Amino acid sequence: MSADSAAKAKPPPVVQVRDMDFCYGTSKALFDINLEVKYHRVTALIGPSGCGKSTLLRCINRMNDRVPSARVTKGEVLVKGKNIHDTDVDLTQLRKQVGMVFQKSNPFPKSIYENVAYGLRIHGEKNKNLLDEAVERSLRHAALWDELKDRLSANALALSGGQQQRLCIARAIATLPDVLLMDEPCSALDPISTLKIEELMSQLAREYTIVIVTHNMQQAVRISDFTAFLHLGKLVEFSPTEELFTNPREKLTEAYLRGTFS
Amino acid sequence: MDRPTTPSRPPLRSVLLRSRKHTVLGVDPQHLIRWFFGGNASIAVIVLVLIMIFLLREGIDFLPTYRHELQTYRRAGLEFCDIIDQPLQQNQTLSSSLRQAISASLETLSKSARDRRDAAFLLKRQIEDKTTRTSESLSQALEKTPPLPPAELAKLRSEVQKAAAAASASLTYPDLFSAAEREQLQREFAALTPEVTDLPPLLQTLAADFTAKDREARTKFASLVQAQEEFEAATEPLQAVVDELKQHAQETKENAVEFEVLETNRLRLLEAAAKEKDPDEKASLIKEASASFTEAVNLAERIQAITSRATELREQVEKYAQVIEKAAAVLPTDAGTGVARTMVNDVREGIPVHAQAMRKAAAQLDSWRWDKPVSIFTVIGAFFFGTSWITNSSWQDFFGFVPLLSGSLVIAFIAILIATPVSVVAAIYTNQFASEREKELIKPVIEFIQAIPSVVLGFIGISLVGNLIKDVSEWSWLQWVPGFPIQERLNMFNAGCLLAFMAVPTMFSLSEDALNNVPRAYIDASDALGATKLQTVFRVIVPAGISGILSAILLGLGRVIGETMVVLLVAGNRIAIPDFSAGPGAIFQPAHTLTGIIAQELGEVSRGSSHWQALFMVGIVLFAISLLVNWCARAVARRFEPHKA
Repeated sequence: MSADSAAKAKPPPVVQVRDMDFCYGTSKALFDINLEVKYHRVTALIGPSGCGKSTLLRCINRMNDRVPSARVTKGEVLVKGKNIHDTDVDLTQLRKQVGMVFQKSNPFPKSIYENVAYGLRIHGEKNKNLLDEAVERSLRHAALWDELKDRLSANALALSGGQQQRLCIARAIATLPDVLLMDEPCSALDPISTLKIEELMSQLAREYTIVIVTHNMQQAVRISDFTAFLHLGKLVEFSPTEELFTNPREKLTEAYLRGTFS
Repeated sequence: MDRPTTPSRPPLRSVLLRSRKHTVLGVDPQHLIRWFFGGNASIAVIVLVLIMIFLLREGIDFLPTYRHELQTYRRAGLEFCDIIDQPLQQNQTLSSSLRQAISASLETLSKSARDRRDAAFLLKRQIEDKTTRTSESLSQALEKTPPLPPAELAKLRSEVQKAAAAASASLTYPDLFSAAEREQLQREFAALTPEVTDLPPLLQTLAADFTAKDREARTKFASLVQAQEEFEAATEPLQAVVDELKQHAQETKENAVEFEVLETNRLRLLEAAAKEKDPDEKASLIKEASASFTEAVNLAERIQAITSRATELREQVEKYAQVIEKAAAVLPTDAGTGVARTMVNDVREGIPVHAQAMRKAAAQLDSWRWDKPVSIFTVIGAFFFGTSWITNSSWQDFFGFVPLLSGSLVIAFIAILIATPVSVVAAIYTNQFASEREKELIKPVIEFIQAIPSVVLGFIGISLVGNLIKDVSEWSWLQWVPGFPIQERLNMFNAGCLLAFMAVPTMFSLSEDALNNVPRAYIDASDALGATKLQTVFRVIVPAGISGILSAILLGLGRVIGETMVVLLVAGNRIAIPDFSAGPGAIFQPAHTLTGIIAQELGEVSRGSSHWQALFMVGIVLFAISLLVNWCARAVARRFEPHKA
């Protein structure tokens, strides 16, 4: 009874991963993952290189589909309660709901405006006013509007690295996704740009649900509400960030946090 | 650098590459190796520079040579004659369309009579063909002396009759004839024997019918016929004067040229004599030189004979203009069928223009000066903007570049227009949509096209594509296409098609590379935003690769402009500016090209002549165009290259 009422009071988890196994061809990359991403929270995925953080992240918007022979072999992934591998799921709609920001900033070689408007345009939006509004809103959310409002027609590739990455975030949130996936968004940036992006993320968390892969444990502490620690394709521990970092349940987590291995 | 610390000898490689003690011919071997590699790398540059120097050396003399020729053209008075003669050519064009209009008009009245007559004569010919054997044996028998016995002759006659009857019965008679006529024809044909020379009565009637109709038509269109005759005859007095002057001018020119040849020869002999040490040899050289001495042609005197006739010529032109204007005025407005009417109307409008051109030309005669020097700019203009390329002419050679350039450009344009969509679309498909197996098939096949010798393609163009285009152009439901039905199998469109085929591999491979070079990250970003494959391709990949695609198109253009064999074989090689007034249908006209003219003529001209130099000049321009196109391709690739993040 109490569990039920709690579920009603709080919004359901936006992303649920249940008992999922994932394979590249014959080699298994993820083992029996269970994960719940809470509404309007930042969830960080940490772990040593090659542990499957990015693979797990890419399972959520099915970016792994593009790799031939990569597939989920067991379990399911639900976004807003809907299994994303169901046959009636429209991949383009799924990706509209689940935005993604990559490790290296990758704006299109187009104008700033066109970059942000791209997501809406491909989903059929033609109304100029709506596009203008969406571009302004997205750039404001990405804290770029004041810097760039006078040169929206400039080529996006002329921006600095940090600005480019924030532009990519603006592009990803222009379609108003439910979840924003970020794959080490700061790893190619200098400390100041990193700081800006982190500030941005805590602001964005008010309106979006964020899943971030990061190598940097301090970053995870600074920005995330929940942290999942993966090791060799297994989810070792998943708990509120503070708890995981101050009082880890698993020995492996503790060892990793202490820097015994990486 | 660091000597190995071990006492053993260093390995051979380090001795070769690092030892500083050893020198070869006093040079550090490292430097030698560097120079060797650098030399190989710069061979291309050196060869390119040599090609340029060679082309320029042969071609640059063209301008002074051509200037000299144009000067002779002027001094001898040829130019003076051409002032009148050139516009006068228009008369032939106009009168030939008048003639066509007349025959089209007569046709409307006399066509049925003529068709009936022709059909009947055709039938008679068929009968004769079928009965050749028997009728020949009869006519031979009749010629024999002494004559054959009547019984045998009668037998032969009956054979002829039998054969004729059988033949006439077996014929199919066209619908042109009524049933009664058919019967009569059959009867008359059956009675044909070699002994009767008169035409069968019905045929006579038919022939008479036609003659009557034709006469009737001619009286009906008498004014038109008369106008045409007057128009044609009007040139005669003028042409007579011009021809006389032309002959005089040409004589002057021939003498002048001969004098120049002899004079050059004489000076060369004298020069040789001056260097010669042996007195005997020297004496003989000088003697030879004096033998080839001739009087210089007195151009000023000879030109008098021409310029003194200027007034007469002007009067003749005025007379001519008045006559043809009068002829234009009497041209009837209702000249038979629609085609004829348009033709006559065109001529009626064309004649005053022509007359005006003639008057203008006559007015120029006054300001013409035989001794006005030909400036180098005139010569450059005469080459780059000259509209006629005339060689081996008995009158005057002209090296005008425009007909060749226009042919080359139109063909290249057609080829690029065809090849661009084909190769770019194929590249997009192969790069983005094709499965691995399809890629393995498509890429090698397209790249194989490059291996086909161009002469084989030219052969295909002559034997296959030409006929195909001609056949297709005769399909009745395609007659709305401008230029259809086409006249010539070998034309610019045909050459353009084949060149497109040749350009496809270059453009395909380079476009495919360009698409391949689009960063993976763009595709990731587009996919992650939920774009479909098509959207990613057309909104991200193609725009990002557009610089490479454009440069591929330009490099294809360079290949097409430089291609020789196909255009030489297939373009039709008519040295004339395509008649663009015919609209887009002009692409079905034959033309000549920059490359084709060099290939065709260079082997036949005497080395060092103005024609030889002109061809090298064409080569220089071709080289410059290729350089320019390649430079543009590079510039485009650089200009649109997205900044690397």
